[in-house]
Amino acid sequence: MSNVILEGKKLQKSFSDKGGNIDAVNSVDFTLRTGQFLGIVGESGSGKSTLLRLIAGLEKADEGSLFYKEKEYTNASPAENGRFLQMIFQDAYASFDPRMKMKDSILEGVKNTCPEAKLYDTMDKLGLKKGLLEKRPKELSGGQCQRMSILRALLCGAEILLCDEITSALDVVTQAQICELLLQLRNQREFSLIFVSHDISLVSNLCDEMLVMYEGSVVEEGKTKDVITSPNHPYTKSLISCSKGLSLS
Amino acid sequence: MTRKKLKFKITVVASIAVVIVFAALFSGIIAPNDPYSTSAAGIRMAPSFEYPFGTDNLGRCVFSRVLYGGRTTIGMTFLLVAISFVIGTFIGMICGYFGGWLDRLLMRVADVTLAFPQMVIAIAVAGILGGGLFGVLLALGITMWVSFARLARSHTYSLKSKPYISAAILAGKSSWYILGRHIFPNILASLLTNGLTQIGVTMIGISGLSFLGIGVQAPSAEWGQMIAEARAYIQIAPWAVLFPALAIAITIIVFNYLGDLIMDYREL
Repeated sequence: MSNVILEGKKLQKSFSDKGGNIDAVNSVDFTLRTGQFLGIVGESGSGKSTLLRLIAGLEKADEGSLFYKEKEYTNASPAENGRFLQMIFQDAYASFDPRMKMKDSILEGVKNTCPEAKLYDTMDKLGLKKGLLEKRPKELSGGQCQRMSILRALLCGAEILLCDEITSALDVVTQAQICELLLQLRNQREFSLIFVSHDISLVSNLCDEMLVMYEGSVVEEGKTKDVITSPNHPYTKSLISCSKGLSLS
Repeated sequence: MTRKKLKFKITVVASIAVVIVFAALFSGIIAPNDPYSTSAAGIRMAPSFEYPFGTDNLGRCVFSRVLYGGRTTIGMTFLLVAISFVIGTFIGMICGYFGGWLDRLLMRVADVTLAFPQMVIAIAVAGILGGGLFGVLLALGITMWVSFARLARSHTYSLKSKPYISAAILAGKSSWYILGRHIFPNILASLLTNGLTQIGVTMIGISGLSFLGIGVQAPSAEWGQMIAEARAYIQIAPWAVLFPALAIAITIIVFNYLGDLIMDYREL
């Protein structure tokens, strides 16, 4: 398909442990289309974050291939991958060097290429005040810090955003604000997004399609609504039944 | 202890440390007498207004020699700690960040070095080299880089998995940029604290080797060497041993205490 922006085939990653090898990601396939929001849900340790790190190139896959616009990038360095994808991390504070001002961190990758007007415009869009640029991460709230992470990713001009449980470390109100922000951004369709979370209700509200991971493998995939309304795998069924306040999009 | 109280203590102890360093640095101006000038008429004189710490067996002013000795002892200590800091930190950061065979090799070398008591290796090396300033620096430096290397390695290893390092990698920054801009500034405080505690250990090492006769050689003034010279007539002129010994003790206590306080302050 021509509008496929990112594709993973038979991705495999194991880590050695005292008890032997642990398959963190086991033969995972996925497809992300331009402008699509893809959710990945699963319990802790199911391999969601490892999959994201494989996609970003921060971990190397033992087997399998990754494609960006049909061109293989499996062995590319993460620095090269940073040209088309960026990652937003779970711990917003730890995403920024504690000793550096936000402005220096934000512009680290785009210092000479990002005009000030673009910076301020994007900050405006994300509801961030200019004054925050002169502050250090500890002086910001969790929500502001996570918005700053989104700002950094957007300024890099990335076509794909990888969000690794970006709301799980935030309080409920801030979670709602970040989700609202992502929903606004989704409507503009300026980028594609992979949203990793263990909160199936959040993913159902935000994403077009979803994958359900269990013990390193994808056990269910499809349109979010289909997965939510007629789950096949027992794990997905239990995940949905356990999820309180699930609201279908 | 509250942060405010600790800050006050650090200020007081750091001020004493600065006074010690300045006294050693400007010994040429402060010293009332020539530390190398002997006087047959004034041997083993008790402390007086002219000779505040008395004189030694050759009639030399002990106070002036303690000040000049401070320059040698403290100067060598700072130089050695600084060299070990630079080499050890560089090795540790490279090992912690890149890992692989180089990490395994250098850390095994560090393990082997740590397996022997530092002073035993230092005595052996200084003995082979025949003493002197260079011999002392090399003898102690062989083992000293290890503590900095291990500390830098463990901090680098834990920092490199932080999201802001991943973000910098994805921003296209090189490994050397990340090491210099993100990792080094964030481990510097911890390394400096270690450096302060190493000052005491190094000072004992330098003075110890000089005391044993395989460090700084006479007639150079060095605290350990002064004690070694004067201990032969300790019953007649105890001041010739007492004051260099006190200088060593006070300096070591001040720098060790300063290191401990800064460590406590950082943990608060």
